[in-house]
Amino acid sequence: MTTTKSTAAPDSTTILRGLSSNRRVPLGSAVYNALLETLYDEAAALDERRFDDWVAMLEEDLVYTAPIRLTRTGPNRDRDVMRTMFHFDESYGSILMRTGRMQKSAWAEDPPSRCRRFVTNVRIGECDAAGEYEVVSYLFLERSRGDNPENEHMTAERRDIWRYVNGCYKLTKREIIVDQSVLGMSNFAVFL
Amino acid sequence: MLQKSSLTLRDGTKLDDLIMRDTNEVSLRVMTDEELYHHEMERIFAKTWLLLGHESEIPKAGDFIIRDMAEDNVIVARDADGSVNVSLNVCPHRGMRVCLGEAGNKRVHQCIYHGWAFKPNGDFIGAPIEKEKMHGNNVEKATLNLKKARVHLYGGLIFATWNVDGPSFDEYLGDIKYYMDQLFCRTDSGLELLGPPQRFVLPCNWKVPGEQSGSDGFHTLTLHRSLMEGGVMGGTAETIYDQAPGMYGVDVSCEQGHSLRCLEAEKTFKMFADIPFEGKSTEERLNLLTPPGITKEMIPELFKNLSEDQVEQLATFPPQVGGMFPNVLLAFIFAPRTDGGASGALTLHTYMPKGPDRVEFVNYIFAEKDAPEQVKRDMLQNAIQATGTSGTIEQDDADVWPVIMRNARGGVSKHITLKYQALHGEERPEGWKGGGMLYPGFTKDDTQWNWWLAYHKLMSEA
Repeated sequence: MTTTKSTAAPDSTTILRGLSSNRRVPLGSAVYNALLETLYDEAAALDERRFDDWVAMLEEDLVYTAPIRLTRTGPNRDRDVMRTMFHFDESYGSILMRTGRMQKSAWAEDPPSRCRRFVTNVRIGECDAAGEYEVVSYLFLERSRGDNPENEHMTAERRDIWRYVNGCYKLTKREIIVDQSVLGMSNFAVFL
Repeated sequence: MLQKSSLTLRDGTKLDDLIMRDTNEVSLRVMTDEELYHHEMERIFAKTWLLLGHESEIPKAGDFIIRDMAEDNVIVARDADGSVNVSLNVCPHRGMRVCLGEAGNKRVHQCIYHGWAFKPNGDFIGAPIEKEKMHGNNVEKATLNLKKARVHLYGGLIFATWNVDGPSFDEYLGDIKYYMDQLFCRTDSGLELLGPPQRFVLPCNWKVPGEQSGSDGFHTLTLHRSLMEGGVMGGTAETIYDQAPGMYGVDVSCEQGHSLRCLEAEKTFKMFADIPFEGKSTEERLNLLTPPGITKEMIPELFKNLSEDQVEQLATFPPQVGGMFPNVLLAFIFAPRTDGGASGALTLHTYMPKGPDRVEFVNYIFAEKDAPEQVKRDMLQNAIQATGTSGTIEQDDADVWPVIMRNARGGVSKHITLKYQALHGEERPEGWKGGGMLYPGFTKDDTQWNWWLAYHKLMSEA
């Protein structure tokens, strides 16, 4: 399917967000708890800049995107996720390129930002494929740069698919739906 | 003898004290001065042509996008007659924005405050309760249109200016048009914007990224060192300064302040495979190394849309990075992939002023309209991974600019000068066909200095 590239005309792909599975994994169940713990571990790996540990949590068929938002009014007011343009459009290979760069001369993260990723509002559903789970979470990122006393921050919803592989969960898909149409953060040199 | 600028700030400082044309220096104070900023809004951003988007964003009658001309918000709309119109998004009644969305399709734009209504071309239709004449007792409706900007489409790019009687778009482009045509007017169907632009705000003055858009090639070796470390530009981490990849070519600029860096294709190609160009025809060269964004199937279109000399240049010295004064950066670059996918990345940025200490970075990503979908898909990914919000090249730029800005506020620091004293001087390479001011060899400060001269000239015209 080719999506329209017109900025003016939104198609139906621009409304999809939130949890789509109707087979809920209830709060407090063993699977829910294990996935929640995985999300916390992932946030810690990123906040602590343990990129090898983070990459180990990713599947090689990873699709990692962050579509842009566009404000609309009237009948199309909820069609505001533009999946024709992205802030991130990544594969496993490009993530490796990005984490590899961090070990060398990535001035945008050298000196590194001090980040806190707050992950909340976690809702989980079963996917059709066995062992795969749709995990929707809210992300609040606080980022401190250098000696600037003012933090940069960002809020988003993340729509993930985690796959159960060899006793642990691995990320195979992530869509980061940021809330701002104009980002207040000066770059995305950090992962979301 | 240089003619003195008439612009003097309230504290007695003259523009000539800030932009020192005898020594090629610019005072860091220009980045923070509020008074200068207000002059810039009137003398530059209300005067020159500004890039607002691409017509592929609004293909149908009634389609509109909302964009900014510096701090002035405008409606860019296609009218029933197919024309593209740019009007100020300010209701002449009480000053409300007439259009609140960022994009959509409307035959009538009605202000949500009191209901005054306008056509896509900005013409006033009327106010509610027609019999009560709420638009005014003895006021001609035609005087209540939205304020209209003058529009020009160039290769599908939408440019507008408030300077209704000013220079034509071609006069504004000047000698750089010959080269820009090689990027924007080279194929039968032209460029297509792949989606709405990425937008983000940086805490710095617009001129911090602005002066860099005047073809600062030199920063690449150090700030963008990771390109060489990752093998994207050839060379290795150890030999960056010895081999200086991408530094040699022909820099082109013109008195209007625009510039382009034309990089020798043979050298660019050498980074990936060692096949010499010698003795090969223009067509053979194009087939060996298609310009960024062009597929082999499109090569005949180049000959159809450009002159023989222009195609020859595209095959040997393709323009790759540069800018249009005052606030456009363009990058039509090679971005090789490891999976054998299409290797080009075509982007344009505008740096829109949002106050003396804020700038909005707007990143437009393109492909040739006639390119196969997979090529467009690859090029979108290339551009996102290299430029804009998360791009590994421009992440580093976005990190430098706000720090320069913080420096510019210091009572002592603001008197430090930016140095543009590494100059090559104009020189016409043998056999070069295009016009403009030419600087062959290692990329130096000449084009960026011309950017400041263009700034000085406009700021001196009241």
